[in-house]
Amino acid sequence: MSRALTVAVAGNPNCGKTTIFNALTGTRQHVGNWPGVTVERKEGRFVHNEQTYKVIDLPGTYSLSTYSVEELVARDFIVQSEPDIIVNVVDASNLERNLFLTTQLIEIGRPMVIALNMMDMAREKGLEIDTETLGVLLGAPVVPIVGRTGEGIDVLKEKIHRIQAHTSQKARHIDIQYHRDIETQIEAISRVLEQGEVPPINVRWVAVKLLEKDERIWEYLEAFSDKEKLRQTTAEAIHQIEKIYQDTSRAAISHARYGFLRGATQECVRSSTTEPVDYSRKIDKVLTNRLFGLPIFALFMWLMFVLTFDLGAYPMDWIDAGISWLVNSLHGLFPDTMLTSLVVDGMIGGVGAIAVFLPNIFILFFVIAILEDSGYMARMAFIMDRVMHTMGLHGKAFIPLVMGFGCNVPAIMGTRILESRRDRILTTLINPFMSCSARLPVYILVAGAFFPENAGTVIFSMYVLGVVVAIISGKLFSKTVLHGMSKPFVLELPPYQKPKISSLLLHTWERGQVFIRKMGSVILVGSIIVWALGYFPREVQLSQDYVAQSAQVRQEWKSQESVIEQAFHASVEKGKQQYVSAMVPFESSGHYKELVAQRDSLQSQTGTVYQEKLQKVDYTRQAETMSQKWIGKMGKLIEPLVAPLGFTWREGVALVTGFVAKEIVVSTYGVLFGVGADANEENAGILTSLRNSGMTPLIGLGFLVFVLLYTPCLATMAAIRRETGSWGWTTFSVVYSLLLAWILAFGIYQIGSAFQWLS
Amino acid sequence: MFSRFKNRMNTTAPRHRLTQGGLRLSDLRSGEKARILEIGGSEQFRIRLMEMGLLVNDIVEVDKYAPLMDPMELIVKGYHLSLRRMDAEKIAVELIERNE
Repeated sequence: MSRALTVAVAGNPNCGKTTIFNALTGTRQHVGNWPGVTVERKEGRFVHNEQTYKVIDLPGTYSLSTYSVEELVARDFIVQSEPDIIVNVVDASNLERNLFLTTQLIEIGRPMVIALNMMDMAREKGLEIDTETLGVLLGAPVVPIVGRTGEGIDVLKEKIHRIQAHTSQKARHIDIQYHRDIETQIEAISRVLEQGEVPPINVRWVAVKLLEKDERIWEYLEAFSDKEKLRQTTAEAIHQIEKIYQDTSRAAISHARYGFLRGATQECVRSSTTEPVDYSRKIDKVLTNRLFGLPIFALFMWLMFVLTFDLGAYPMDWIDAGISWLVNSLHGLFPDTMLTSLVVDGMIGGVGAIAVFLPNIFILFFVIAILEDSGYMARMAFIMDRVMHTMGLHGKAFIPLVMGFGCNVPAIMGTRILESRRDRILTTLINPFMSCSARLPVYILVAGAFFPENAGTVIFSMYVLGVVVAIISGKLFSKTVLHGMSKPFVLELPPYQKPKISSLLLHTWERGQVFIRKMGSVILVGSIIVWALGYFPREVQLSQDYVAQSAQVRQEWKSQESVIEQAFHASVEKGKQQYVSAMVPFESSGHYKELVAQRDSLQSQTGTVYQEKLQKVDYTRQAETMSQKWIGKMGKLIEPLVAPLGFTWREGVALVTGFVAKEIVVSTYGVLFGVGADANEENAGILTSLRNSGMTPLIGLGFLVFVLLYTPCLATMAAIRRETGSWGWTTFSVVYSLLLAWILAFGIYQIGSAFQWLS
Repeated sequence: MFSRFKNRMNTTAPRHRLTQGGLRLSDLRSGEKARILEIGGSEQFRIRLMEMGLLVNDIVEVDKYAPLMDPMELIVKGYHLSLRRMDAEKIAVELIERNE
């Protein structure tokens, strides 16, 4: 068998490109990213007539200019990797606009097959398309297809086969002919290109791109010798065109493309006069209605939230329980060595911490797939754009932001629904300020300790503050670091479609597996580091002999028990002497029973008291051990940094461990205050300890604000790294949120102290 | 990290000013039909509209405005497009069918 041939699938968004890609390749797909950018790259294979074809799904674009990363990726692939065949998917029900991209593909000049998709919808619209003539006019065979039913896919495969075997009659390259004024300039530039050394492969395409003032085209001309002359000729040519057309050269060329298309479609498309039924418009009469649009949207958002987090909570608990069971039983099976601790506590425990998110993430991606495939996603953007626009964002950005209230990790991964990289980065950067559910236990603990009367108000205001910070930061970023990339909002509202379950599952799996693969590695390393911080150094110098202390407590307990026992026996003897009845033995008398009950209750009371004492010793030992480990030393080390906020080394340690996951702040306090690591936010001991630790309500408030704003957790950081594709943005996010948290907590403490509020 | 965004900023072409006074696309009420006379704004915006199939002489119908009054939904050549009002303000139109 000969080498695998490359087939690139190109087309507009919403033209059914993915459906055709799936129909061609089946489930033999591989999803990755295009190098250097976070644009999904899908690759699959199929075999036809003993020839293997490697199919690449290019990002859906309306054009091949340098408007977006997606367009650049698609263009670079076609020009630089030179696929053997291009399959251009075209929506037959919307022919003229879809063919605009086709004109650009024709110009690049790779062998091409046009897959005329959605023929059923075109027929419904009353359109009759002469595919034979269209093929002749475009210089590429046209295959009518109904992607949803798979009708025409076999013909498409056969055409692909014939194109590469050069047996197709219709595949002859044609040039898009422009008006004479433009053609003259194309020729002038082409001459310069051909005369110089190392001319580009496709001279005509490069000439057109130069006329369009395409910046990136110079990258293809690096080897070209006579750049100076080329620059001059191009400038002169552009000047000529702009003088004639009284418009920019790019607009003139685009107009000319449509002129060509109008001619072609007039020849091939016959439209019946009857007005077709626009079902989508009827559905939208309700779904984007001025009155019901927002409530219905809110209902869908609520449903999505409930499904993701409430339904996801069940498998989450199972996984959580499974991991705990595994960790415990492994500890029972293996000796207590460093390796056991590393593998069980560090690696299994750490990876388990992300595994619990899996159900949430898969459900969320499934719901998003439904929204996308049905066409409602575009309507969500339509409804929410007014709100999101104030932050310099696209309407769709609302979805990942709301999901952030549940968990920032799937929410940040959900930013993939946004088309522009700038919007994705901006939404990712402000997402951590949406207060996730892991922060709630910390709020309940601290607000419960210092604001028992108004805990609800304080907690609610944390959520509000998060939203406010997100909005202000969004505005700030879009005016500074992410300035200038905002694109005009021209959104297509595609017809509603019934989603196919197989495609939903495929989409969910594609996105979910990326999470498993990439996040796993970052989290693994992170958890090993945190494990090491809490594990080393092994030998700690404790200020007190806790072993002796607990031995002493046990001793006291025992002697106390025997004192009670002796007193009991003495009372029994006394009772027997005074006892007169010969009918019933003393041991059955009421008095004796009373004495026994008295003794038992005394014993159990002493038991509780001493058990508590023993626990107290153990917890104090744990707390001191913790303070001697690296993690405790870190807390001490960063104490000067957090002292201006009124925090002590305890808050330092809690914040450091909270970086692994926010809810850990509570259990860290449990350990530090000597009430045990399994303390929860309603534990009375921890509440009292917190109140007696020297923290004031003012410092508590500052602490809450700090917890709200600083980097949520390791998993979120990994998600940011993953979605922005850059350590630069990840560092920026971490530093920005830390600084912001510090400044606000500092402000609260310093200003509050000056006015003696809440002290 | 930031440079790649700033580069793009500088490439924005001079804005095209509308020569026509009078009616703008954003002035239309839902249900009204109009013909596009001229498209203004930045080159990027004008090209984008062309790529999305919105050209001079095309007939557009305003289907509706979003619940929060922005953006607006248009029907062009049988498909639905959504534009923000601030962008629709850059499009000069002539009314051909009034909504009573």
